[in-house]
Amino acid sequence: MIPLLRKAGAFVLRDFRIESGYKTAFLIRIIDSMMLLVLFYFLSQLITPSTSPGLKGHGYGYFSFALIGLGFARYFDLTLRMFSESIRLAQVTGCFEAMMSSQTGCITVALMSSLYGLISGGVQLLLILAAGVVAFGMDLTHLNLPATALVLVLSLTIFVAFGVLSAAAVVWLKKGDPITWILGGFGTIVGGAYFPIDMMPAWMQKVALVNPFTYCLDALRMTMLQGYSVVMIAKLLATLLGIVAILLPASLGLFAAAVQKGRREGTLMQY
Amino acid sequence: MKQSSSSSCPAVVRVSVPEAPIISAVDVTMCFPIVKRYRELLLHPLRPRRMYTALSSVTIEIQEGDRVAVMGPNGAGKTTLLKLIGGLILPTKGDIVVNGFSTIHHSAAARKSVGFVLNEERSFFWRLTGAQNLEFFGALDNLGGADLRNRIRELISLVGLEEAAGRVVEGYSSGMKQRLALARGLIAEPRVLILDETTRALDPIASDEMIDLILSRIYSGSRKTLLIATHRMDEALKLCNKVLVINKGRVQAFDSISDLKRDRITLPQYYRRALAVGGV
Repeated sequence: MIPLLRKAGAFVLRDFRIESGYKTAFLIRIIDSMMLLVLFYFLSQLITPSTSPGLKGHGYGYFSFALIGLGFARYFDLTLRMFSESIRLAQVTGCFEAMMSSQTGCITVALMSSLYGLISGGVQLLLILAAGVVAFGMDLTHLNLPATALVLVLSLTIFVAFGVLSAAAVVWLKKGDPITWILGGFGTIVGGAYFPIDMMPAWMQKVALVNPFTYCLDALRMTMLQGYSVVMIAKLLATLLGIVAILLPASLGLFAAAVQKGRREGTLMQY
Repeated sequence: MKQSSSSSCPAVVRVSVPEAPIISAVDVTMCFPIVKRYRELLLHPLRPRRMYTALSSVTIEIQEGDRVAVMGPNGAGKTTLLKLIGGLILPTKGDIVVNGFSTIHHSAAARKSVGFVLNEERSFFWRLTGAQNLEFFGALDNLGGADLRNRIRELISLVGLEEAAGRVVEGYSSGMKQRLALARGLIAEPRVLILDETTRALDPIASDEMIDLILSRIYSGSRKTLLIATHRMDEALKLCNKVLVINKGRVQAFDSISDLKRDRITLPQYYRRALAVGGV
């Protein structure tokens, strides 16, 4: 356990040291999110529960709805891309071969390469939420912390699993990762990140039913904005747990198979 | 010569030492797939991909403490063989055992015994210092705390990078990067050190310094097994006690340099003969 933690620390420290050389990039990402916050604030003046039936009966306005959607969709999208991007970057820079010749396995390298991104993304998420509360008066007084934490852990695990799947696609296909293409962007819109699903056309509502974003964002809005407890969202939690139980071992297995195939065919370092 | 394999393939060399070899490759073949073109994809979508054979039926044994020069023309299969021994790729056929562990079945255990000195200058994180790079790769090799710090200090001194260790790798010369790569390869104190054309990008002086460094400071103290891919005859003669010639994916010859000297064969003559057998 200690060597694993030590390795995790080494990956985080490495990326922190590298990122600290690109301070502007972090700042620009924050400013970019804040601009969206302003945009959603003004949109929320136009979209009210009376004009949008999807917002009725929840006890919160469009701004809170969109802020949770924006913040978490960005975070999950980052989680999704992190693994494949870190592997591809390591392949392109030539560091992947050096890491693969070490005593650390490929899965550990892939998982740990994204740790810093998850932490830094988490900090960005907190900053967005804090700005929403402080500058725009978002109401988080009903927040149920244990339930939110549980939903967040399960949701993150789902997107980590998808991220690993996407990394497997990169190892296999080199370029053109279909997982990120399907789930990122379109997945966030259909998952109800920015607009209530009830407002969407019928076919999009059907797609939303098989989109993990939908369940994660629904559960987060319930626990953060409406104060739902673990018991009250038990059904949603069971759905998230079910997705994790199927997806996580499957993605790790597929990633291991892709790596083994890459080693067998000598294509692991190719990009 | 104990056994020359210059006449037939696969070349089997058994040096008459009773101990088990530290590296043994048995009937190793490595094939790389050839990416299908659009035409093939359209006309024959289900036909299996064509394969390119980079190594064919290689059988060799290397004893502990051997310093083997792996020679051959460009594209002969040298790097493929080294990557197979280092566990970076797995053979299509056959098996490689390093220090008692199969690189296929016990890949992690086999890799513990091998340090790989890559010739790729870009295999470092350029925005980290030399010491920070070693710290990261040391952690990947399960080192940490005071042990890792001491090891890094020791290695930096060994490869003569004391003054540059605190600077970012971006500003290193090719020679400095190769020294750092050497330090990285040694960080877990492997019994086998693989050097893939380490002096390729170096000027003659830096190249000689690197050879001296390997021989006087790395090999002499530890008697590590060294596998050195090189095109330079002088480097092979200075560094190695054995020479392995590969051509077109096959081992053409594997002999000890002292046997060549005894038989009054120069290394260039030996190399040319070996290639002539395989047909260059």
